[in-house]
Amino acid sequence: MNARLILATAVIPLGLIIAAVPENTTKPYKLTAEQLLEEVKSGTQYLQTEEVADLVISKDPTLQLIDIRPVDEFEKFSLPGAINIPLVDILSSDWEETINQDVKMNVFYSNGTNDANQAWMITRQLGYRNNYVLQGGVNYWAETIMNPEVPPTTSANEEMAKYDLRKGAGMALGGAAEITQPAAAVATGGVKPPIQKKQTKRKVAGGC
Amino acid sequence: MGPLFVNEIISENTNLFLAFIIGIGFGFVLEVNGFSSSRRLAGMFYGYDTTVLKVFFTAAIVGALGLLFLSLFNWIDLSYIYINPAYMYSAIGGGVVMGAGFIMGGYCPGTSFCAASIGKLDALAFIGGMFIGILIFTEGYPLWEDFYNARFLGSPLLSSILGMSRGVFTFLIVLVALGMFWVGEWSEKKFARDDYKLNQK
Repeated sequence: MNARLILATAVIPLGLIIAAVPENTTKPYKLTAEQLLEEVKSGTQYLQTEEVADLVISKDPTLQLIDIRPVDEFEKFSLPGAINIPLVDILSSDWEETINQDVKMNVFYSNGTNDANQAWMITRQLGYRNNYVLQGGVNYWAETIMNPEVPPTTSANEEMAKYDLRKGAGMALGGAAEITQPAAAVATGGVKPPIQKKQTKRKVAGGC
Repeated sequence: MGPLFVNEIISENTNLFLAFIIGIGFGFVLEVNGFSSSRRLAGMFYGYDTTVLKVFFTAAIVGALGLLFLSLFNWIDLSYIYINPAYMYSAIGGGVVMGAGFIMGGYCPGTSFCAASIGKLDALAFIGGMFIGILIFTEGYPLWEDFYNARFLGSPLLSSILGMSRGVFTFLIVLVALGMFWVGEWSEKKFARDDYKLNQK
């Protein structure tokens, strides 16, 4: 028997088997329930509004804000530079490259903490890294960054420093830190965020 | 569970070490198949030696079947496998340039290093030419940048373009490969040369 026949008898049955069986499209979860519980308990996924504001102001290129609210809410108001991935679309293959990558730091946010946290949990179970949650969401952002509350004059020094930081951040981001105007937040909402091009990772490609 | 590195089963260094071992294996297969002789690759074009076709087609079908079976048993997640992005025009242009270079030089980049390692001077000349080519490409990049990036197709799979499952497509490729082996051996007899013996030591 020549080599061609030996090869044929081996690969044709294997080829037939693989043609007959259905494709395996299951996506195994990468983390065990215990591992996930550990991460939830330690709360490392949370970022404070001040931290995020600081990154936005310094125009950190690794920051990617991801608005997981529905499209209409995103269009009314969004944080600077954010892209919109509604929670229901989080598993869509269009966004896989955006949320499953190791270059940028994705920060999910919703109105509160809950929805963003759900998005984080789903992606984390799939083993994706570099996804975070803006603690308190847009509501807390508006409260702390856009309209920070003046602490009573009897407050500790740290409280005053925190207020100064929030006020500065709010002013840099077009909030109403100096004169409290509820309309100011709406005014900034009129500006549509630029549509971010999807990042395509380019790796070293091999040849023959 | 696989890919091992992506799922953090092995460290980055272990990954590189495994790549090193596999690289040595690749070089070894090239060498034992006589790819360090420039006549082998040129023979593919003139039809008197089709070893290149047989080796690479065998590697392709074994690899394809292996990956699909590993995926079937849930040992590897195929969505993590890197697929070369396709740029229509540069793929065609590059194919023509590389193909012409293969025939003229008698090596491909891999086999030239293989042959240089056993001391072949023509392989060293080929590597020199390769670096000149790389230099011209990179220095002149603005000239062909548009051509290089034209018609980006993403990472398409032939099976999904043709609308069939990966398994069925792989089976067809297996049949095509076996057919091509037969054609190859026919061509080796038909275009045989007096001064060239197949599988010479």
